[in-house]
Amino acid sequence: MPISRTNCPTCAAELACHFAKAVEGAEEKAVCPYDGLAYRDLRAGHDQIYFGGWRKMDASPGDILRAYNQIERHLRTIGRALGDKDLPAARRDLAMALDALQSGDPREESRDALRFMDHALSYAHRVIDDLLHEMGLPPHSPMDFAEWFNAAEVPFREEW
Amino acid sequence: MIPLDRYPKEIALRDGARLVFRPMVREDADRLAEFFRMIPPEDKMYLRENVDRLETIEKWAEALDYDAVFPILAFAEERIVGDATLHRNRAGWKQRVGKVRILVSPEFRHRGLGTAMIRELRHLGEKASLRYLMAEVLEEQQIAIRAFEKLGFERMVVYRNFVNDQKGRLHNLVVLAYPMTLSRDELS
Repeated sequence: MPISRTNCPTCAAELACHFAKAVEGAEEKAVCPYDGLAYRDLRAGHDQIYFGGWRKMDASPGDILRAYNQIERHLRTIGRALGDKDLPAARRDLAMALDALQSGDPREESRDALRFMDHALSYAHRVIDDLLHEMGLPPHSPMDFAEWFNAAEVPFREEW
Repeated sequence: MIPLDRYPKEIALRDGARLVFRPMVREDADRLAEFFRMIPPEDKMYLRENVDRLETIEKWAEALDYDAVFPILAFAEERIVGDATLHRNRAGWKQRVGKVRILVSPEFRHRGLGTAMIRELRHLGEKASLRYLMAEVLEEQQIAIRAFEKLGFERMVVYRNFVNDQKGRLHNLVVLAYPMTLSRDELS
């Protein structure tokens, strides 16, 4: 299967980072870790930003601007998935994500741009989890996919 | 108006356990009593009523009124493993404020059930046209507090040495509130 360098044919993620992994016992080939999961495009879109270089100490202004644009596209995708579903809490979180994104435009030299972008991503995550809850599924856990993203830091996980 | 057509609702936890959420009905009294028997005594200290008495639970079951208290039970097969309630006032200055209470059996703690129940109550609160949801949690219950905060509840106030357990020890009480969906005008 030819490997796209722009979009995964399964989850539609923009980068091909998760293609790098080889399947055990086989030659390296295209594998999507989100294959078969509900809302795989939303999960993949979230995780690409979540594990992105913009959150590292040495992130360049270009990394940050790219992440900002990714979040914007991600929120639009979430909005389409939400459609006219009767999920007011998710709709509220999406509105708050868009609000946070607007406040965090790195082109406007906002000192808190990173913080607002981070908030936007957190609200987006909540919307994804609301969509999953409606399907009776557990919340999305980015850390389950960390190995596909070369993530150096693994925060602790806790549940209630 | 809380819609009942979403129940019974199947919920999967991250570890693969499959549960069913549905509102409590009168016939659940015995199973609810059994659920409370599984709750450790130290946790029962914080409950408002003596749930060791079957009469207490039978009284709840007899007086079920979803407009005042909407109890959602989590079932693992036939067993109740979680109890979440949304308390509302029909009239008065707090009629748009719902109070939420959640209790999870020990074997289902730290598995995401509490979070799923908060999410469910949040949805119900929206459907009931409430303005705020409020939760009161002992400050020691940090995981529960973080779960509420993760879902958008904000810490409003901490009352120092405010509540006592059944042994008379004082505890700090954290009050969290969740602002419900803004109106269309407010969102625009």
